[in-house]
Amino acid sequence: MGRLVLRRLGATVPVLLLVTAGVFLLLHLTPGDPIDVMMAESVDATVKENLRRELGLDRPLYLQYAAWMGRLLQGDLGRSIRNGEPVIENVSRRLRPSLELAVYAMTISLVVAFPVGIVSAIRRNTAIDRAGATFALVGICVPNFLLALLLIFMFGVTLRWLPISGYTDPLEEPWNGLRSLALPAITLGLALAAVVTRTLRSSLLEALAEDYVRTARAKGLSEWRVIWSHVLKNALIPVVTVLGLQLGTLIGGAVITEYVFALPGVGRLVVDAVFARDYPLVQGVVLLIAIGFILSNLVVDVLYGWIDPRIRSR
Amino acid sequence: MAGSIPGSDLAEGAAGLARPAAAPARAQRWKGLRRAARARLAPLGAAVVMLAVLIALAAPLVAPYDPLAQNLGNTLASPGRQHLLGTDNVGRDVLSRVIWGTRVSLLAGLVSVALAMLAGSLLGLVAGHCGGRVDGLVMRVMDAVLSFPPLVLALALGAVLGAGLTGVLLALGVVYTPTFARLMRGQVLSIAARDYVDAARALGASGWRVAARHVVPNAINPIIVQASLSVAFAILAEASLSFLGLGIQPPQASWGSMINAGRGYLQQAPWIVFGPGAALFATVVGLNFVGDAVRDALDPRTRD
Repeated sequence: MGRLVLRRLGATVPVLLLVTAGVFLLLHLTPGDPIDVMMAESVDATVKENLRRELGLDRPLYLQYAAWMGRLLQGDLGRSIRNGEPVIENVSRRLRPSLELAVYAMTISLVVAFPVGIVSAIRRNTAIDRAGATFALVGICVPNFLLALLLIFMFGVTLRWLPISGYTDPLEEPWNGLRSLALPAITLGLALAAVVTRTLRSSLLEALAEDYVRTARAKGLSEWRVIWSHVLKNALIPVVTVLGLQLGTLIGGAVITEYVFALPGVGRLVVDAVFARDYPLVQGVVLLIAIGFILSNLVVDVLYGWIDPRIRSR
Repeated sequence: MAGSIPGSDLAEGAAGLARPAAAPARAQRWKGLRRAARARLAPLGAAVVMLAVLIALAAPLVAPYDPLAQNLGNTLASPGRQHLLGTDNVGRDVLSRVIWGTRVSLLAGLVSVALAMLAGSLLGLVAGHCGGRVDGLVMRVMDAVLSFPPLVLALALGAVLGAGLTGVLLALGVVYTPTFARLMRGQVLSIAARDYVDAARALGASGWRVAARHVVPNAINPIIVQASLSVAFAILAEASLSFLGLGIQPPQASWGSMINAGRGYLQQAPWIVFGPGAALFATVVGLNFVGDAVRDALDPRTRD
């Protein structure tokens, strides 16, 4: 197990280096002068010149990269042009709403996907199964900004049950906090639930066709007992894989969801930074998101090895 | 797992006896049903996609109004005989804008996937064919691209490449490239080990001739499958980016930007959002059905 973790970590290092290089070069992909793009024409030339020097844009590229990496290794991701605060502080302030949204959405998706997936598999080819399959298809094909607006239309505008934008800290006001995150979490959770439902259903069907299931039934175990103690565990492995593969989509979904519901999360920060042309902030946040993404993939890999011992030796 | 059942040895013992009869029959019936369901869905999907293509091509002919013509005397009009899908906040005909938006969406889906397919296949071919350091470098770069959540990467790239359709097309092309590169590389490696490649080499064909004449034609099927499945995702991605404000700029119509613009009028005029929303949903579902059918036809693993 320890070796698996080490091997995966080792494989990550060159990729991380390339990722930093990519993020660094991002700024240099701008057509024209990045400073002119970032600041209005009316801004004083000396201010521009100062910023240019601060960002090191007047030096050769490899020196800029070396300096940038040096600061990076000390935990300095640069400063936002807009508010002048370090990128790290901008991000850490936004981290909690995003994590809360992710956990909430994940919970919703599992709470929806497990019953629907299990019932679909047991009552295969019935109306229930077809309803489940339709739900999964819709969940996969509806972009989440559209789903978000549908939910806002139904629960926010028409029924007026839930707030449609803004964020209340659940640690300060638990009930209102949960309510403020409800629609975003449902938006993000349903898309994930659709994918999980599909995977769970087909992996359950595969497991149900195994011989040990017949044996368990022959012993006289109830169907629920068979599913619960024999089939489910074996059917979980593909679900974990798919959850891992969906991480990227989930993060992208969070960006859009936070944007639509005006949640002060990291995703919203990216969008705001992009449109403010606050390139140092864009660089910093995108790099942090990529590192977070790489690390979560690492966790999924390790989790996978933990669930399925056969993976470890490979 | 097995330990939790008393008498689990029985399972092992009984397995050999029953396996040939029951399991395949059940699996067969299941596959048959799935195929039947798909056979019904594929033509439906194809019809939707064809319709979308026709609408995109004939946009100037089928759109009842100028998609940019404002009519401030008739804003937020509900759907009716005059305006089938109503009008938006500056009195533009929603249906006409949806029709013109079809062009943008299909173009974005096709062009970005074509870019990714070309670049990815070429990189995968070079990596698989050259091997060694070139392979290592190319594939690590692909891994690095895959280390970004797709939408975040597209957003960042779109931002630096500048708002506009070209920036988004390039950004999405980059995002989808690694998938094709990995596929192509895997294909090249497995095909290069086959006898007919050895035979061609023995006949004196040069390395790149072998690649062009023998490897690529045999590797192309999975690439086509992947491309057909990717178009739907690319269309969704373009819509997401233009929803966020990248991509084609107002007043030009794109489904994503129309939906974003209609956000503020959800209460008074939900049709501004739901018109393009329905078009987007139908197109993506149709493309998914077509993609599944292409996969069933070309991928031997999903065939019986």
